[in-house]
Amino acid sequence: MEETPRQKYTEKEKVEVFNNEFLPHINSMYNFGYRLTLDEDDAKDLVQDTYLKAYRFIESFQKGTNAKAWLFRILKNSFINDYRKKSKEPSKVDYQEVESYYNSDDVDRQITTDLRVESLQDMIGDEISNALNSLDVDFRTVIILCDLEGFKYDEMAKILDIPIGTVRSRLHRARNLLKDKLSVYAKKMGYKNP
Amino acid sequence: MSLLDNPFAGSSGNKISCLEMLQAILDGDATEEQQQYFRKHMDECLPCYKAHELDMQIKQLLKTKCSGNPVPADLVEKIKRQVNSIS
Ligand SMILES: [Zn+2]
Repeated sequence: MEETPRQKYTEKEKVEVFNNEFLPHINSMYNFGYRLTLDEDDAKDLVQDTYLKAYRFIESFQKGTNAKAWLFRILKNSFINDYRKKSKEPSKVDYQEVESYYNSDDVDRQITTDLRVESLQDMIGDEISNALNSLDVDFRTVIILCDLEGFKYDEMAKILDIPIGTVRSRLHRARNLLKDKLSVYAKKMGYKNP
Repeated sequence: MSLLDNPFAGSSGNKISCLEMLQAILDGDATEEQQQYFRKHMDECLPCYKAHELDMQIKQLLKTKCSGNPVPADLVEKIKRQVNSIS
């Protein structure tokens, strides 16, 4: 964890921190676990495991600081170490992530897409959820952290152990990939390219 | 506010692209001043206006459609029990 000086908590304080600062995030934690594993039972195990670890290492958590980011980081590490290892699917993300994409000349090409706002209005079913779930887990993760949970760049960088520049470029790529998927759904629903 | 006062411009004074501004807005990384500047910018930049509208809709859809899976009722109790047994 962070280089926080070890806290001294009494047993009573530990339970208080756990109940008042950790447990209120359980909905977000469960959703994160579910979106990572795409399985309800695995998500339950992951969340349970994360909370037990959080309790065990509670003295490296400083009362009143960002408990949500701290918990998300533990969950993400548990997922990588315990769960992802078991799954056969290797990461497909190309780690040679280009961070100089802003320097590209064809900004206009990057900003336009054949996806239309009108087609989104008909996506009232599982389209968006399926599109998100179909992204590689590393891309899915940044979308969850930013768009569902509202984490800032510096918080995401800490949760994921990657530089802020990588957070930014990964988010950019993730958004484009998501739009590609949504375009496919839109085409299936009968929307034509402009 | 003139374009010379672009609050997105960093200390390096580099020219900031539409894409960069848009992403800062979308990612929740823009200051109040930057948001205000971008709103004005959209009045004169159709690609930004369209992209912003689309991206914000997707963001909104994600929020309403991809969160709020209810936590299984027994999970919190189970966690509390286990914590009590180790404390
Ligand atoms: Zn623009």
